[in-house]
Amino acid sequence: MSVFSQSFSPCGRFLAAGNNYGEIAVFSLSSALSPDATDLSQTPILTFTAHEGPVFSLFSTDSHLLSAGNGEISAWSWAELIKRVRPSSLEIPEINAMTVNPTENSLVIGGGDNNIHIMDLESGVFKSVLQGHTDYIHCLSVREREGEILSGGEDGAVRIWDHRTGQSVHCIEVYKYEECARPQYGKWISCLTTESDWMLCGGGPSLSLWHLRSMSPTSIFPLSGCQRQANFYQDMILSVGEGQCVSHCLLGGEVKAQIPCTPHSLNTLALNLNSTDNRVRVLTVGGSSHQIDVFTNLSYRTFSLSF
Amino acid sequence: MGAVTDDEVIRKRLLIDGDGAGDDRRINVLLKSFTKWCNSTGSPEEGFTQYQRMLGTLAQCEFSMGKTLLVYDMNLREMENYEKIYTDIEQNITSAHDKISECKKEIQRAKRIRKNRQEYDALAKVIQQHPDRHETLKQLEALDKELQQLSHIKENVEDKLELRKKQFHVLLSTIQELQQTLENDEKSENDDAQESSMENGE
Repeated sequence: MSVFSQSFSPCGRFLAAGNNYGEIAVFSLSSALSPDATDLSQTPILTFTAHEGPVFSLFSTDSHLLSAGNGEISAWSWAELIKRVRPSSLEIPEINAMTVNPTENSLVIGGGDNNIHIMDLESGVFKSVLQGHTDYIHCLSVREREGEILSGGEDGAVRIWDHRTGQSVHCIEVYKYEECARPQYGKWISCLTTESDWMLCGGGPSLSLWHLRSMSPTSIFPLSGCQRQANFYQDMILSVGEGQCVSHCLLGGEVKAQIPCTPHSLNTLALNLNSTDNRVRVLTVGGSSHQIDVFTNLSYRTFSLSF
Repeated sequence: MGAVTDDEVIRKRLLIDGDGAGDDRRINVLLKSFTKWCNSTGSPEEGFTQYQRMLGTLAQCEFSMGKTLLVYDMNLREMENYEKIYTDIEQNITSAHDKISECKKEIQRAKRIRKNRQEYDALAKVIQQHPDRHETLKQLEALDKELQQLSHIKENVEDKLELRKKQFHVLLSTIQELQQTLENDEKSENDDAQESSMENGE
């Protein structure tokens, strides 16, 4: 079993995880982290089959959990998780990444048909399509302040789109830069994340930190293996991918620590910053195993939730 | 029979022991011996010894009373001391809590500063790779000067060319005029000669 995606509830007390069988399991973090937790609290409080194919992407809005599988997107209300609120479908093979653009209240979806679809969250109507990638899209990110959408795909290009005009503003072909490129792995980009003027991208090429104003790579991280997800956290970068560990890196390019965890290869990393309750501020990682590791202190694995 | 005897024994014991052990009994014994001494009919020495004995018991009672009072004072002061220590510790706990939250804020601030510094360093690395601005400006200035000089030279050359062209033009037009005048003169000479030969031939 592989866990492909995770998402925390808006209150921060629950974690939803999607696996390759199309099931979504909901875990109660507050009971798993409470002082009198038992083994039972590390199993899901609810499991349901959401899609026929694997659940590649999960995203939480203020009231709903959005899940995407093979060409269909379902919205589940967090208040009553069994009730499927509104399924909508696209004729695309699979949806790899979903993110929300809060300024426009729209859902940005990237998938296997090489295009990015933008759907309005209120009405469920598909507003526009961004075309330009020549191969399928792995990951998406939104820069709210500048109103830009970034997408990375199998064709090795990171494209920056303006969400109003729908045009590709920039196209960075990461594999063409000598210092990042790793031809032995390929040119695909599988992880992309942004924070103000900085962008992290990686996959086939090494994980690298880019300054978006000058469009230049500033630091390359010497991590072996292809990184599948990376996040900025306080003054560090957390990254997971092939390799049985969570890597902590500094912005300057050095790898500060590599924390071992259970799954052999990790697919997803999620930080619970939603709730103010300090007990549930955890990091969870999931990958090619039925266990999802929970870190309360970033330095070591506290326990594992079982799917 | 046994139960009744037990009760009797208990009752007798209680009556004899009176109101507790030690000091109370001593006071009761003193009272009893005092009454016995008052009603005694024995010799004066016996009465004197009994009197002495009673004084001794009285002194013992006073002594134990004094001791109890001191112990009571001590307990009160201990209580006060403990109360003080308790409030001190409470204050320390709250101040430690405050310090901890202050330190946590400091950590957040320091992390942000560190992050900014790292971003700055990363950008600085990239900037270092590009050439210095002063040098580039100097190069640009030198190139500008060269350009100016060259255009100056070009202007000069063009002026000279114009001048030569005009001079040649003047020269050529003068030659042409001279040619015209010569031709005209020749023609008029020929005409004159023809006219005079025609007049002569008549």
